[in-house]
Amino acid sequence: MRFVTGLYLVYLCIPIILLFVGAFGETWTNTLLPTGFTLEWFLELWDDGSFRRAFIVSLEVVTATCIFCTLLAVPLAYALYRSASKKIMAAARIVFLLPIAAPPLVLAFGFILVFTSDALPWLNSIWLLIAGHVVLTLPYLLQTLVADMRHLHLDTLEQAAESMGAGFFRQFFDVVVPLLRHSLGSGLIMVAALSIGEFQLSNLISGFLYRPYPVVLLQAFYGSTGFACAATVILLILALLASAGGALAARSASQYRTHRS
Amino acid sequence: MSLTLENVNFTYPGTTSGVFDINLSIGDGELLAVIGSSGSGKTTLLKLIAGFETADRGRILLGSDDITQLPVRNRQLGVVFQTYALFPHMTAWQNVAYPLKIRKVPSETRERKAVEALERVGLQGFENRMPQTLSGGQQQRVALARALVFAPRALLLDEPLSALDASLRGSMRDEIQRLQREFSISTVHITHDQEEALSMADRVAVMEAGRLVQVATPRELYDHPATRSVAAFVGEANLWDGKTVAHDTVELPFGRLTTEPHGLSTGQPVTVLVRPENIGIGKATDGINALTGAVVRDRFLGAIRRFDLSVGPSLVLGQTGIRGPIDSINIRPEHVRLLPIQP
Repeated sequence: MRFVTGLYLVYLCIPIILLFVGAFGETWTNTLLPTGFTLEWFLELWDDGSFRRAFIVSLEVVTATCIFCTLLAVPLAYALYRSASKKIMAAARIVFLLPIAAPPLVLAFGFILVFTSDALPWLNSIWLLIAGHVVLTLPYLLQTLVADMRHLHLDTLEQAAESMGAGFFRQFFDVVVPLLRHSLGSGLIMVAALSIGEFQLSNLISGFLYRPYPVVLLQAFYGSTGFACAATVILLILALLASAGGALAARSASQYRTHRS
Repeated sequence: MSLTLENVNFTYPGTTSGVFDINLSIGDGELLAVIGSSGSGKTTLLKLIAGFETADRGRILLGSDDITQLPVRNRQLGVVFQTYALFPHMTAWQNVAYPLKIRKVPSETRERKAVEALERVGLQGFENRMPQTLSGGQQQRVALARALVFAPRALLLDEPLSALDASLRGSMRDEIQRLQREFSISTVHITHDQEEALSMADRVAVMEAGRLVQVATPRELYDHPATRSVAAFVGEANLWDGKTVAHDTVELPFGRLTTEPHGLSTGQPVTVLVRPENIGIGKATDGINALTGAVVRDRFLGAIRRFDLSVGPSLVLGQTGIRGPIDSINIRPEHVRLLPIQP
């Protein structure tokens, strides 16, 4: 069992290790591993305006996606949690399953159909790209928040606040929002990680001016191997940072809950 | 401030459960315990008083103010929840200061008052501790301080001791009682623990199937329960169904018992109540209500022992400090209580 697990880990890690090796290798043509050591590919990447711009677009899209997801998910999750209606809960389950039921490709085709019309000529705009990312990532954040609300027994805490004289907004901002900060943090990091790596939808709906990093990355693979590896390593580091942040936030949230119980 | 419930009725939507025809008055500074088995409606009663549910009919008065339709936040009632409901993201003093913050008390004053309130519940030095780092008893003290700090018009306690270890419950009972007396605040204490109710309350209300069955002082409730179910719920009890055969005699499955003159007509079905501690060991010198049998179950409880004596077709539950063998018992007529038979 241990051997199989080890083998599986090697299988998972080899492509990543090879990317790092390739990014620092001077030449890599018809050999098992590259030869030489260079930082040239990273410098070239830095000098490439399209990559720099794509990197900035990605950061802008991720930031905006996180902001809109927060603004939508917190009240929506709260409304779902408070709702006793079976119909609303069924609708929520459908929303939760949306990323599986409607993969990015399907969503992109829908966007193309709707937003190339004269009435809504917004295809290629950064706002549509952000909207697409919000649609794709919102269910994940919603799920995290609703699960946390159930775990925290928010209803009793709200009743306690209400009995002390707190109105709805006071309860929401004094009790609900502060208590959700851990799950909101870990959920947003998941949103950021998903948004950073999103390719399918972005490739189809982003215009020339607002191509995010993964879309531009594809072009790197038509050039030299070292350059492609270096470009991918940057994306990988971003994703790893997001995952590590998510793991830390989740651990801190679980310690917080363990103390409570 | 007194609290009065007048003909209060409430049914949970889509069900037949709720509370019905509740008429209850809690005097100024009085501690009323509400007891009953699960589903008897005691928590619903608390929710109605607190405002978490609204009565379908009837009135709830706080002093002379009708609060039946008043939102929870405007009722000015201190509530201690079963799970304490301390805000986990606030320290002990911040929790206690929260009701003052809502009332826009200046920050310095509210911090001072919160610290004072914590001192009053014996938690000096714990002001900056987070709730999750406090023990169950300490958390409950914080919850009590928080419920009392804003000088509420009445205090509602929802099974506040049920989450505590048995060893802590006794001291917390005394603590709650002390604070309640100190603040002289009308208090409704919901509990399923009859011992807790009897030891703490000025009066006890017993609920059954959403209705109040009896409201009385602990002593009266124990000695003169209104019904068989109240007798069974409050303390240990021998309950036998029988009928009156004379003005001072009842016939039971295991024989006849002499009672004090009961004033009932002959042949009337009754339930006979005898508390275990009123079972005398050995034959009575006057031979009244002497019974013999064999002990079929014996439970050693330290200072006392409880035994089941098989007498004819019935079992008699007795309680004594005597450790020797038991084969005969006696019951004084004044300890034989007659209750109306329940269907």
